[in-house]
Amino acid sequence: MAGGLKFHPHNYAPMAAELDFESVVERYYRPLYQFAFSLTRTEADASDLTQQTFYVWATKGHQLRDEAKVKSWLFTTLHREFLKTQRRQARFPHYELSQRDHELPAIDPATMNQLDATQVLKSLAQLDELFQAPLALFYLEDYSYKQIAAILEVPIGTVKSRIARGMAQLEKILATGLSASGLLPKEPHG
Amino acid sequence: MDKEQAKAVLALYRPGRDGDDDPEMAEALAVAERDPELARWLSERGAVYRAIKAKFKSIEVPDGLKEQILAECVTRTKISWARRPAFLAAAALLVVSLALAVFWLRPRTENKFAVYRNRMAGTALRDYRMDLVTNDLNAIRQFLQKNKGYGDYVLPQPLAALAGVGCALLSWHAHPVSMVCLEADKQNPLYLFVIDRSALADPPPVSAPQFARVGKLATASWSQGDKAYLLAGLGDEAFLRKYF
Repeated sequence: MAGGLKFHPHNYAPMAAELDFESVVERYYRPLYQFAFSLTRTEADASDLTQQTFYVWATKGHQLRDEAKVKSWLFTTLHREFLKTQRRQARFPHYELSQRDHELPAIDPATMNQLDATQVLKSLAQLDELFQAPLALFYLEDYSYKQIAAILEVPIGTVKSRIARGMAQLEKILATGLSASGLLPKEPHG
Repeated sequence: MDKEQAKAVLALYRPGRDGDDDPEMAEALAVAERDPELARWLSERGAVYRAIKAKFKSIEVPDGLKEQILAECVTRTKISWARRPAFLAAAALLVVSLALAVFWLRPRTENKFAVYRNRMAGTALRDYRMDLVTNDLNAIRQFLQKNKGYGDYVLPQPLAALAGVGCALLSWHAHPVSMVCLEADKQNPLYLFVIDRSALADPPPVSAPQFARVGKLATASWSQGDKAYLLAGLGDEAFLRKYF
Protein backbone atom coordinates (compact mmCIF):
# COMPACT_ATOMS: atom_id res chain seq x y z
CA MET A 1 0.00 0.00 0.00
CA ALA A 2 0.96 3.61 -0.20
CA GLY A 3 2.93 3.61 3.01
CA GLY A 4 4.81 6.77 2.25
CA LEU A 5 2.01 9.18 3.00
CA LYS A 6 3.40 11.89 5.18
CA PHE A 7 0.90 14.63 4.59
CA HIS A 8 -1.67 15.28 7.26
CA PRO A 9 -4.55 17.40 6.07
CA HIS A 10 -5.23 18.50 9.64
CA ASN A 11 -2.13 20.63 9.33
CA TYR A 12 -4.12 22.66 6.86
CA ALA A 13 -7.63 22.46 8.29
CA PRO A 14 -7.78 21.89 12.05
CA MET A 15 -10.25 19.24 13.10
CA ALA A 16 -12.67 19.19 16.00
CA ALA A 17 -10.83 18.84 19.29
CA GLU A 18 -7.49 18.11 17.63
CA LEU A 19 -8.73 14.95 15.95
CA ASP A 20 -6.15 13.47 13.66
CA PHE A 21 -7.36 13.07 10.09
CA GLU A 22 -5.78 9.69 9.57
CA SER A 23 -7.24 8.28 12.76
CA VAL A 24 -10.71 9.49 11.74
CA VAL A 25 -10.29 7.80 8.37
CA GLU A 26 -8.95 4.65 10.02
CA ARG A 27 -11.84 4.49 12.45
CA TYR A 28 -14.75 5.23 10.12
CA TYR A 29 -13.91 4.46 6.50
CA ARG A 30 -15.15 0.87 6.74
CA PRO A 31 -18.64 1.57 8.16
CA LEU A 32 -18.98 4.56 5.85
CA TYR A 33 -18.06 2.49 2.82
CA GLN A 34 -20.53 -0.22 3.83
CA PHE A 35 -23.27 2.39 4.13
CA ALA A 36 -22.25 3.91 0.79
CA PHE A 37 -22.23 0.51 -0.88
CA SER A 38 -25.68 -0.23 0.52
CA LEU A 39 -26.90 2.93 -1.20
CA THR A 40 -25.02 2.73 -4.50
CA ARG A 41 -24.34 -1.00 -4.95
CA THR A 42 -21.19 -0.34 -6.97
CA GLU A 43 -17.66 -0.31 -5.64
CA ALA A 44 -16.61 2.71 -7.67
CA ASP A 45 -19.56 4.86 -6.60
CA ALA A 46 -19.28 3.76 -2.98
CA SER A 47 -15.57 4.56 -2.98
CA ASP A 48 -16.24 7.96 -4.53
CA LEU A 49 -18.90 8.70 -1.96
CA THR A 50 -16.67 7.67 0.92
CA GLN A 51 -13.77 9.73 -0.41
CA GLN A 52 -15.98 12.74 -0.93
CA THR A 53 -17.25 12.42 2.63
CA PHE A 54 -13.73 12.53 4.04
CA TYR A 55 -12.85 15.42 1.77
CA VAL A 56 -15.76 17.36 3.23
CA TRP A 57 -14.52 16.37 6.69
CA ALA A 58 -11.01 17.57 5.88
CA THR A 59 -12.33 20.94 4.82
CA LYS A 60 -15.24 21.48 7.20
CA GLY A 61 -14.77 19.04 10.06
CA HIS A 62 -13.07 21.66 12.20
CA GLN A 63 -16.47 23.35 12.55
CA LEU A 64 -17.67 20.41 14.61
CA ARG A 65 -17.06 20.98 18.31
CA ASP A 66 -18.23 17.70 19.80
CA GLU A 67 -15.98 14.73 19.14
CA ALA A 68 -18.77 12.34 20.05
CA LYS A 69 -20.69 13.51 17.01
CA VAL A 70 -17.98 12.84 14.46
CA LYS A 71 -19.38 9.51 13.32
CA SER A 72 -22.94 10.71 12.90
CA TRP A 73 -21.61 13.88 11.21
CA LEU A 74 -19.79 11.69 8.68
CA PHE A 75 -22.85 9.54 8.06
CA THR A 76 -25.02 12.63 7.60
CA THR A 77 -22.49 14.08 5.18
CA LEU A 78 -22.28 10.87 3.20
CA HIS A 79 -26.05 10.71 2.94
CA ARG A 80 -26.22 14.35 1.80
CA GLU A 81 -23.55 13.73 -0.81
CA PHE A 82 -25.47 10.67 -1.99
CA LEU A 83 -28.65 12.71 -2.34
CA LYS A 84 -26.74 15.30 -4.38
CA THR A 85 -25.75 12.60 -6.84
CA GLN A 86 -29.38 11.57 -7.08
CA ARG A 87 -30.65 15.05 -7.88
CA ARG A 88 -30.69 14.53 -11.60
CA GLN A 89 -32.48 11.28 -11.24
CA ALA A 90 -36.16 10.80 -10.68
CA ARG A 91 -37.42 12.24 -7.45
CA PHE A 92 -38.78 9.93 -4.84
CA PRO A 93 -42.09 8.61 -6.04
CA HIS A 94 -45.06 9.44 -3.91
CA TYR A 95 -47.42 6.60 -3.38
CA GLU A 96 -49.63 5.43 -0.63
CA LEU A 97 -48.73 2.31 1.22
CA SER A 98 -51.41 -0.01 2.36
CA GLN A 99 -51.58 -1.59 5.77
CA ARG A 100 -50.34 -4.82 4.21
CA ASP A 101 -46.97 -3.20 3.57
CA HIS A 102 -46.26 -3.50 7.28
CA GLU A 103 -46.95 -7.20 7.42
CA LEU A 104 -43.91 -9.37 7.82
CA PRO A 105 -43.64 -12.62 5.86
CA ALA A 106 -42.82 -15.84 7.65
CA ILE A 107 -39.18 -16.61 6.94
CA ASP A 108 -37.15 -19.31 8.58
CA PRO A 109 -33.97 -17.61 9.91
CA ALA A 110 -31.93 -20.66 8.97
CA THR A 111 -33.07 -20.27 5.37
CA MET A 112 -32.20 -16.59 5.49
CA ASN A 113 -28.66 -17.56 6.45
CA GLN A 114 -28.28 -19.27 3.09
CA LEU A 115 -28.58 -15.97 1.27
CA ASP A 116 -25.48 -14.01 0.43
CA ALA A 117 -24.91 -10.29 0.82
CA THR A 118 -25.32 -9.67 -2.90
CA GLN A 119 -28.85 -11.07 -2.87
CA VAL A 120 -29.76 -8.95 0.13
CA LEU A 121 -28.38 -5.79 -1.47
CA LYS A 122 -30.09 -6.56 -4.78
CA SER A 123 -33.33 -6.88 -2.88
CA LEU A 124 -32.64 -3.62 -1.07
CA ALA A 125 -32.18 -1.98 -4.46
CA GLN A 126 -35.70 -2.99 -5.42
CA LEU A 127 -37.18 -1.00 -2.56
CA ASP A 128 -38.37 2.55 -2.85
CA GLU A 129 -35.35 4.82 -2.32
CA LEU A 130 -37.05 6.34 0.71
CA PHE A 131 -36.55 3.11 2.58
CA GLN A 132 -33.01 2.22 1.55
CA ALA A 133 -30.92 4.56 3.70
CA PRO A 134 -32.91 4.08 6.92
CA LEU A 135 -32.88 0.35 6.44
CA ALA A 136 -29.14 0.25 5.73
CA LEU A 137 -28.46 2.17 8.94
CA PHE A 138 -30.91 -0.05 10.81
CA TYR A 139 -28.93 -3.15 9.90
CA LEU A 140 -25.40 -1.77 9.66
CA GLU A 141 -25.09 0.44 12.70
CA ASP A 142 -26.32 0.26 16.26
CA TYR A 143 -27.74 3.74 16.12
CA SER A 144 -30.88 4.56 18.05
CA TYR A 145 -33.88 5.61 15.99
CA LYS A 146 -33.32 9.16 17.19
CA GLN A 147 -29.77 9.06 15.85
CA ILE A 148 -30.88 7.58 12.52
CA ALA A 149 -33.46 10.36 12.28
CA ALA A 150 -30.77 12.96 12.93
CA ILE A 151 -28.43 11.47 10.32
CA LEU A 152 -31.12 11.34 7.67
CA GLU A 153 -32.59 14.67 8.78
CA VAL A 154 -36.16 13.41 9.05
CA PRO A 155 -38.49 13.10 12.06
CA ILE A 156 -38.11 10.00 14.23
CA GLY A 157 -41.66 8.85 13.49
CA THR A 158 -40.91 8.97 9.79
CA VAL A 159 -37.74 6.93 10.30
CA LYS A 160 -39.57 4.26 12.28
CA SER A 161 -42.31 4.10 9.70
CA ARG A 162 -39.87 3.85 6.81
CA ILE A 163 -37.84 1.14 8.54
CA ALA A 164 -40.97 -0.88 9.35
CA ARG A 165 -42.31 -0.63 5.81
CA GLY A 166 -38.90 -1.12 4.23
CA MET A 167 -38.13 -4.15 6.37
CA ALA A 168 -41.44 -5.76 5.47
CA GLN A 169 -40.89 -5.09 1.78
CA LEU A 170 -37.31 -6.32 1.92
CA GLU A 171 -38.28 -9.56 3.61
CA LYS A 172 -41.09 -10.11 1.13
CA ILE A 173 -38.67 -9.70 -1.76
CA LEU A 174 -36.20 -12.05 -0.09
CA ALA A 175 -38.94 -14.57 0.61
CA THR A 176 -40.05 -14.42 -3.02
CA GLY A 177 -36.47 -15.06 -4.11
CA LEU A 178 -36.13 -17.94 -1.68
CA SER A 179 -39.39 -19.45 -2.90
CA ALA A 180 -38.28 -19.17 -6.51
CA SER A 181 -35.05 -20.95 -5.68
CA GLY A 182 -36.91 -23.69 -3.83
CA LEU A 183 -35.51 -22.77 -0.43
CA LEU A 184 -38.89 -21.71 0.87
CA PRO A 185 -42.27 -23.32 0.19
CA LYS A 186 -44.33 -21.19 -2.17
CA GLU A 187 -47.23 -19.44 -0.52
CA PRO A 188 -50.62 -20.64 -1.73
CA HIS A 189 -52.52 -18.14 -3.83
CA GLY A 190 -55.98 -16.92 -3.03
CA MET B 1 -50.81 -2.43 25.25
CA ASP B 2 -52.40 -5.51 23.68
CA LYS B 3 -50.65 -8.28 21.82
CA GLU B 4 -51.12 -6.83 18.33
CA GLN B 5 -49.88 -3.43 19.42
CA ALA B 6 -46.88 -5.05 21.06
CA LYS B 7 -46.16 -6.98 17.88
CA ALA B 8 -46.22 -3.80 15.80
CA VAL B 9 -43.73 -2.17 18.17
CA LEU B 10 -41.53 -5.25 18.41
CA ALA B 11 -41.22 -5.49 14.63
CA LEU B 12 -38.55 -2.80 15.06
CA TYR B 13 -36.82 -4.54 17.95
CA ARG B 14 -33.10 -5.16 17.51
CA PRO B 15 -31.79 -7.74 19.96
CA GLY B 16 -29.02 -6.34 22.10
CA ARG B 17 -29.72 -2.79 21.00
CA ASP B 18 -33.26 -1.65 21.70
CA GLY B 19 -35.31 -1.67 24.84
CA ASP B 20 -34.17 0.29 27.82
CA ASP B 21 -34.05 3.69 26.15
CA ASP B 22 -37.55 3.39 24.66
CA PRO B 23 -40.49 3.09 27.09
CA GLU B 24 -42.83 1.86 24.37
CA MET B 25 -40.40 -0.88 23.37
CA ALA B 26 -39.86 -1.82 27.01
CA GLU B 27 -43.60 -2.18 27.49
CA ALA B 28 -43.91 -4.32 24.37
CA LEU B 29 -41.09 -6.54 25.58
CA ALA B 30 -42.92 -6.97 28.87
CA VAL B 31 -46.02 -8.11 26.96
CA ALA B 32 -43.88 -10.65 25.08
CA GLU B 33 -42.51 -12.00 28.33
CA ARG B 34 -46.03 -12.85 29.43
CA ASP B 35 -47.09 -14.33 26.08
CA PRO B 36 -45.23 -17.47 24.94
CA GLU B 37 -46.49 -17.23 21.37
CA LEU B 38 -45.39 -13.63 21.04
CA ALA B 39 -42.09 -14.52 22.69
CA ARG B 40 -41.49 -17.24 20.10
CA TRP B 41 -42.37 -14.86 17.28
CA LEU B 42 -40.00 -12.27 18.74
CA SER B 43 -37.22 -14.82 18.98
CA GLU B 44 -37.64 -15.71 15.30
CA ARG B 45 -37.75 -12.04 14.34
CA GLY B 46 -34.49 -11.53 16.22
CA ALA B 47 -32.87 -14.37 14.33
CA VAL B 48 -34.02 -12.94 10.98
CA TYR B 49 -32.70 -9.52 11.99
CA ARG B 50 -29.32 -10.97 12.92
CA ALA B 51 -29.16 -12.96 9.66
CA ILE B 52 -29.85 -9.89 7.49
CA LYS B 53 -27.54 -7.72 9.59
CA ALA B 54 -24.74 -10.25 9.04
CA LYS B 55 -25.21 -9.91 5.28
CA PHE B 56 -24.92 -6.12 5.45
CA LYS B 57 -21.88 -6.36 7.70
CA SER B 58 -20.20 -8.73 5.26
CA ILE B 59 -19.87 -6.00 2.62
CA GLU B 60 -16.18 -6.06 1.84
CA VAL B 61 -14.22 -2.86 1.76
CA PRO B 62 -11.86 -2.70 -1.24
CA ASP B 63 -8.16 -3.03 -0.59
CA GLY B 64 -6.37 0.27 -0.69
CA LEU B 65 -9.42 2.43 -0.08
CA LYS B 66 -7.97 4.00 3.05
CA GLU B 67 -4.76 4.87 1.25
CA GLN B 68 -6.79 6.24 -1.64
CA ILE B 69 -8.81 8.44 0.69
CA LEU B 70 -5.67 9.79 2.31
CA ALA B 71 -3.95 10.33 -1.04
CA GLU B 72 -6.94 12.10 -2.54
CA CYS B 73 -7.32 14.40 0.44
CA VAL B 74 -3.63 15.22 0.14
CA THR B 75 -4.08 16.26 -3.47
CA ARG B 76 -7.30 18.13 -2.95
CA THR B 77 -6.26 19.83 0.25
CA LYS B 78 -2.94 20.84 -1.23
CA ILE B 79 -4.88 22.54 -3.98
CA SER B 80 -6.73 24.40 -1.26
CA TRP B 81 -3.47 25.69 0.20
CA ALA B 82 -5.07 28.94 1.28
CA ARG B 83 -6.98 27.10 3.98
CA ARG B 84 -3.86 26.69 6.13
CA PRO B 85 -4.86 27.99 9.57
CA ALA B 86 -1.55 29.68 10.37
CA PHE B 87 -1.79 31.49 7.09
CA LEU B 88 -5.35 32.53 7.80
CA ALA B 89 -4.50 33.63 11.31
CA ALA B 90 -1.80 35.95 10.00
CA ALA B 91 -3.85 37.22 7.14
CA ALA B 92 -4.77 40.86 7.08
CA LEU B 93 -7.63 42.32 5.12
CA LEU B 94 -5.45 42.55 2.04
CA VAL B 95 -4.61 38.87 2.21
CA VAL B 96 -8.23 37.92 2.75
CA SER B 97 -9.15 39.89 -0.32
CA LEU B 98 -6.41 38.13 -2.23
CA ALA B 99 -7.63 34.76 -1.02
CA LEU B 100 -11.13 35.61 -2.12
CA ALA B 101 -9.84 36.62 -5.52
CA VAL B 102 -7.93 33.34 -5.76
CA PHE B 103 -11.05 31.49 -4.71
CA TRP B 104 -13.20 33.08 -7.38
CA LEU B 105 -10.63 32.79 -10.12
CA ARG B 106 -9.44 29.26 -9.54
CA PRO B 107 -11.17 26.31 -11.16
CA ARG B 108 -13.20 23.94 -9.00
CA THR B 109 -10.83 21.66 -7.12
CA GLU B 110 -13.21 18.76 -7.48
CA ASN B 111 -12.61 18.76 -11.21
CA LYS B 112 -8.84 18.93 -11.05
CA PHE B 113 -7.01 16.45 -13.20
CA ALA B 114 -4.78 15.36 -10.30
CA VAL B 115 -7.86 14.30 -8.34
CA TYR B 116 -9.22 12.41 -11.33
CA ARG B 117 -5.85 10.71 -11.89
CA ASN B 118 -5.65 9.58 -8.27
CA ARG B 119 -9.18 8.27 -8.38
CA MET B 120 -8.62 6.26 -11.54
CA ALA B 121 -5.28 4.95 -10.30
CA GLY B 122 -7.10 3.77 -7.20
CA THR B 123 -9.58 1.95 -9.38
CA ALA B 124 -6.76 0.19 -11.20
CA LEU B 125 -5.09 -0.80 -7.94
CA ARG B 126 -8.22 -2.13 -6.31
CA ASP B 127 -10.43 -4.93 -7.48
CA TYR B 128 -12.68 -3.69 -10.22
CA ARG B 129 -15.41 -5.28 -12.24
CA MET B 130 -14.92 -5.70 -15.99
CA ASP B 131 -18.09 -5.09 -17.92
CA LEU B 132 -16.67 -6.93 -20.91
CA VAL B 133 -13.79 -9.40 -21.01
CA THR B 134 -12.38 -9.92 -24.47
CA ASN B 135 -9.17 -9.60 -26.43
CA ASP B 136 -11.08 -8.15 -29.35
CA LEU B 137 -10.50 -4.41 -29.47
CA ASN B 138 -13.30 -3.94 -31.97
CA ALA B 139 -15.72 -5.62 -29.59
CA ILE B 140 -14.48 -3.35 -26.83
CA ARG B 141 -15.03 -0.26 -28.96
CA GLN B 142 -18.51 -1.38 -29.96
CA PHE B 143 -19.43 -2.19 -26.39
CA LEU B 144 -18.29 1.21 -25.17
CA GLN B 145 -20.05 3.01 -27.98
CA LYS B 146 -23.31 1.18 -27.32
CA ASN B 147 -23.18 1.89 -23.61
CA LYS B 148 -22.49 5.61 -23.61
CA GLY B 149 -18.75 5.10 -23.28
CA TYR B 150 -15.99 6.33 -25.58
CA GLY B 151 -15.52 3.73 -28.27
CA ASP B 152 -13.88 6.22 -30.63
CA TYR B 153 -10.72 6.71 -28.60
CA VAL B 154 -7.54 7.34 -30.56
CA LEU B 155 -4.24 5.88 -29.40
CA PRO B 156 -0.57 6.25 -30.33
CA GLN B 157 0.51 3.41 -32.63
CA PRO B 158 2.53 1.31 -30.09
CA LEU B 159 -0.39 1.42 -27.69
CA ALA B 160 -2.94 0.70 -30.39
CA ALA B 161 -0.99 -2.43 -31.32
CA LEU B 162 -1.61 -4.07 -27.94
CA ALA B 163 -4.30 -6.70 -27.52
CA GLY B 164 -7.25 -5.93 -25.31
CA VAL B 165 -8.14 -7.60 -22.04
CA GLY B 166 -11.51 -6.01 -21.46
CA CYS B 167 -13.24 -2.81 -20.53
CA ALA B 168 -15.45 -1.21 -17.92
CA LEU B 169 -17.77 1.74 -17.74
CA LEU B 170 -16.94 4.02 -14.83
CA SER B 171 -18.01 7.46 -13.80
CA TRP B 172 -16.33 10.41 -12.21
CA HIS B 173 -18.44 13.21 -10.82
CA ALA B 174 -21.31 12.14 -13.07
CA HIS B 175 -19.11 12.13 -16.18
CA PRO B 176 -18.68 8.83 -18.00
CA VAL B 177 -15.23 7.30 -18.00
CA SER B 178 -14.23 4.39 -20.20
CA MET B 179 -11.59 2.04 -18.86
CA VAL B 180 -9.86 -0.17 -21.39
CA CYS B 181 -7.44 -2.83 -20.17
CA LEU B 182 -4.64 -3.60 -22.59
CA GLU B 183 -2.26 -6.51 -22.48
CA ALA B 184 1.23 -5.09 -22.05
CA ASP B 185 2.57 -8.39 -20.85
CA LYS B 186 0.97 -11.47 -19.35
CA GLN B 187 1.14 -10.34 -15.74
CA ASN B 188 0.95 -6.64 -16.14
CA PRO B 189 -1.98 -5.01 -17.92
CA LEU B 190 -2.14 -1.36 -18.82
CA TYR B 191 -5.17 0.66 -17.85
CA LEU B 192 -6.41 3.30 -20.22
CA PHE B 193 -8.96 5.79 -18.94
CA VAL B 194 -10.81 8.03 -21.37
CA ILE B 195 -12.93 10.98 -20.32
CA ASP B 196 -14.31 14.06 -22.04
CA ARG B 197 -11.87 16.96 -21.67
CA SER B 198 -14.68 19.25 -20.60
CA ALA B 199 -15.11 17.18 -17.44
CA LEU B 200 -11.75 18.41 -16.20
CA ALA B 201 -10.87 21.90 -15.05
CA ASP B 202 -7.26 21.44 -16.16
CA PRO B 203 -7.08 18.64 -18.73
CA PRO B 204 -3.63 17.38 -19.72
CA PRO B 205 -1.95 19.12 -22.66
CA VAL B 206 -2.40 18.08 -26.25
CA SER B 207 1.35 17.92 -26.77
CA ALA B 208 3.63 15.19 -25.42
CA PRO B 209 2.29 13.00 -22.61
CA GLN B 210 2.98 13.99 -19.05
CA PHE B 211 4.32 11.30 -16.74
CA ALA B 212 3.63 11.07 -13.04
CA ARG B 213 3.80 8.42 -10.36
CA VAL B 214 0.66 7.58 -8.33
CA GLY B 215 1.44 5.05 -5.63
CA LYS B 216 2.64 1.88 -7.29
CA LEU B 217 1.56 3.05 -10.70
CA ALA B 218 3.31 4.99 -13.40
CA THR B 219 0.90 7.20 -15.30
CA ALA B 220 0.95 9.10 -18.56
CA SER B 221 -1.64 11.66 -19.50
CA TRP B 222 -2.42 13.56 -22.63
CA SER B 223 -5.29 15.04 -24.61
CA GLN B 224 -6.38 14.47 -28.14
CA GLY B 225 -9.43 15.95 -29.75
CA ASP B 226 -12.17 16.36 -27.18
CA LYS B 227 -10.88 13.59 -24.94
CA ALA B 228 -8.40 13.34 -22.11
CA TYR B 229 -6.41 10.12 -21.82
CA LEU B 230 -4.79 8.59 -18.79
CA LEU B 231 -2.62 5.49 -19.06
CA ALA B 232 -1.56 3.66 -15.91
CA GLY B 233 0.49 0.56 -15.26
CA LEU B 234 2.69 -1.09 -12.69
CA GLY B 235 6.24 -0.10 -13.47
CA ASP B 236 8.28 3.00 -14.07
CA GLU B 237 8.15 5.86 -16.53
CA ALA B 238 10.48 4.05 -18.94
CA PHE B 239 8.01 1.17 -19.08
CA LEU B 240 5.22 3.49 -20.15
CA ARG B 241 7.35 5.48 -22.59
CA LYS B 242 7.64 2.38 -24.77
CA TYR B 243 4.04 2.88 -25.78
CA PHE B 244 4.39 6.39 -27.21
